[in-house]
Amino acid sequence: MAKESKPWYTRIGTGIWKFFASLKLTIIVLISVAFISIIGTVIEQNQPLEKYLMAYGESWTKFIIYGNLNNMYHTWWYNGLILTLAVNIIVCTFERFPTKWNSLLKHKPKKFTAESVNQFANKRTVKVSAGLEETRTRVAAILKKNKYKTVKFDGNSDEDFTYCWRGVIGRFGSDITHVSLLLILFGAIIGGFYGYKDFKVVYTGDTIEVPDVDYNLRLDKFWIEYYESGQIKQYNSLLTVVEDGKDVLTKQIWVNEPLDYKGVRFYQSSWGNAWDRIAKANIAMIGKEKEQIYSNMEIDWGVLTKIPDTEYSVKLIGFAGDFAYDEERNEVFSKSAEANNPAIQIEVYRGGKLISSPWIFIKYPGIFPAIPDSEEDIVFGGYTGLLYSGLSLNKDPGVNIVWLGCLIMVSGFFLTFFVYHRRLWVYIHTVDGGTEVSLGGLINKSNFVFEREIENIAKKIKGDTEV
Amino acid sequence: MILSLVFFTFSFIFYLVTALVYVANWFVKKKWLGQIATTMAFVTLFSTSMILIMRAGESGHAPFSNLFESMVLFVWALNIGYLLMEYRYKFKSLGAVIMALEFIAMLSASLLPYRFKSVEPLNPALQNKWHFMVDFLSKFGLEDYAIGWLDFHVFTTFIGYAAFAISFGLALTYLVKNKAEVKGKKNFLLDRFPDSKMLDELSYIAIAWGFPFLTIGIVTGAIWANEAWGRPWSWDPKETWSAITWMIYASYLHARVTRGWRGRRAAWIAVLGFVAIIFLYWGVSFILPGLHAYA
Ligand code: HEM
Repeated sequence: MAKESKPWYTRIGTGIWKFFASLKLTIIVLISVAFISIIGTVIEQNQPLEKYLMAYGESWTKFIIYGNLNNMYHTWWYNGLILTLAVNIIVCTFERFPTKWNSLLKHKPKKFTAESVNQFANKRTVKVSAGLEETRTRVAAILKKNKYKTVKFDGNSDEDFTYCWRGVIGRFGSDITHVSLLLILFGAIIGGFYGYKDFKVVYTGDTIEVPDVDYNLRLDKFWIEYYESGQIKQYNSLLTVVEDGKDVLTKQIWVNEPLDYKGVRFYQSSWGNAWDRIAKANIAMIGKEKEQIYSNMEIDWGVLTKIPDTEYSVKLIGFAGDFAYDEERNEVFSKSAEANNPAIQIEVYRGGKLISSPWIFIKYPGIFPAIPDSEEDIVFGGYTGLLYSGLSLNKDPGVNIVWLGCLIMVSGFFLTFFVYHRRLWVYIHTVDGGTEVSLGGLINKSNFVFEREIENIAKKIKGDTEV
Repeated sequence: MILSLVFFTFSFIFYLVTALVYVANWFVKKKWLGQIATTMAFVTLFSTSMILIMRAGESGHAPFSNLFESMVLFVWALNIGYLLMEYRYKFKSLGAVIMALEFIAMLSASLLPYRFKSVEPLNPALQNKWHFMVDFLSKFGLEDYAIGWLDFHVFTTFIGYAAFAISFGLALTYLVKNKAEVKGKKNFLLDRFPDSKMLDELSYIAIAWGFPFLTIGIVTGAIWANEAWGRPWSWDPKETWSAITWMIYASYLHARVTRGWRGRRAAWIAVLGFVAIIFLYWGVSFILPGLHAYA
């Protein structure tokens, strides 16, 4: 059939197949991915817009944002290149593997001649005084000892032909590597689709909800260990898994020691000072007129506390490390996580009745009266901060597939690089005054090793019966 | 600090002397000179090992925790790699090149600013230890010396770097020698090297060693990152550059096996690969922003 008479879709299909079966493509794409990846290491990824504007100016920033160069490794074109490699591997394997399998494992004993043995680059000829039969047994034993597998054919009383090989599995190392690459990619895709990552700021005693699972997690304790020099040695969280209202598991985690429970991992990933709550505050009640201090006390977060010798009680209900007020939403918030302008909100009760809930400031005592229409005021003197534990949540059902793939990949490398496929043709025949053995063969790599081995075998054949 | 410094100073000087002896042996090939050179390479290996051991003793953890220590580790691995090659392939001319590289590496380690050298306690993210090893060593009160994925990661990566450094040395020698061969020039210095076909082959073998080790290094790094940061791969510059070098060497292997690239073209990829390694090792630490503390 002429080529033109094939339907167009077959032709396009064949073209695509040919494109992906190309080994040039492999090298081109590998090199391209390598070079394109450099861009993402030079342009810092996933930074706030202002950072790019500062570093690159407006027009370059536009270009970066337009081309997604600020999140390059997740763009369609970058992943498309990776996918091209995967398709390339699959097509190449289909294209080449069956032939390779047949030619390597199904030995069709083809007859060879004495001359063909001598055409190999690696060859030796040895003459011994023993007879053919004895030499044949001897050679067979030596080959066996060198871990060669043998097929024999076409012998007669004057001649003997043997073909033998070793390490054929090494030839499949590259295929094992390629399949493992697909497995790794598959694991990564599974993780991307069915997994999630989350981050939570958690305070001691808090219980957090974990997405997609039927349990909750409680932080029992968070603490920091220090070296004698004052550097941080480690930060730790004591976590308890709560299932159906019951504590089922308690584990201490730290950086490098996550908790694994029902497919979700919990990592100690950071810590910090809370910006919206504290542990304790120091307050004092003062007389406005004479600036006298009635009482100076420490109150705990959320606990209604009586001010001694007065009819007042207070409760600490709010904190802002860097006080700011959102007028539109009528909300107080912290401008930053820094304690630049610390303020607390307290509820003030007189005789058990809530009379006010003012914000008071360390830096600006008395700007808003804490108790309306009264001679007394409350000032905020200091506080004991509260640490939070930053926990990362990670569900990655593909990660074990990735590890398995990595293991297989490394085994594949071992086979490719360190198991050499050797083939040896041995021709033995009777000559004047003894027997002559000719060895010749091929190795898929590392000629050096093979040369030595043939030398070695030849020496053994000569042995003590050297002519 | 004291003992490791003594050994460092000693090794530093001795690498220079060893390099000179190898160079001398290259110029005047005498059996006894070659033997002295090899003996000296062993002495430097011993004293480099002592730097690492003393460092471990002084800091109380595996000695791979800053740029300086990693340089010493690199020098150590390169030394072993070279000696293995010398033993197996029986030629010493490359020793002049490798020992010179060793000396340059020692020199750059010694020139590092203090903050990259000092013995520091490990920060939280670097405290990665295998439980079974901690359990075992704690029977002897040695649990501080237990290692984990992180140490394993650094160790295998540096064996990989050392193998690539050797392939780089061989590729460079190949390029020089091959040029001379093609022009038909006779040069007694170049004649001391094996013929260029052998250099080409050896360069490949060195990469065949380096590639699996680099791979194991990348994988164990991912395992560690998965424990410390909660994700195996975050595209930080160090990780990305390790992938870049990995792909360059993968193209080398493919070009060689599937397209039959030998000789000059292959040698140039090997050189390019090592340039990428240097950037991965030093460039990323100093130029690009990222999570990795060093190396
Ligand atoms: C992306 C990462 C890849 C890696 C790490 C990789 C790895 C390898 C390795 C280690 C070898 C053996 C080299 C040797 O024997 O010295 C090899 C050979 C080979 N690779 Fe890849 N490969 C990759 C991608 C691909 C792709 C996408 C293809 C698709 C065409 C491919 C096709 C081949 C072929 C045909 C061989 C030669 C097989 C043989 O010698 O029997 N590789 N590859």
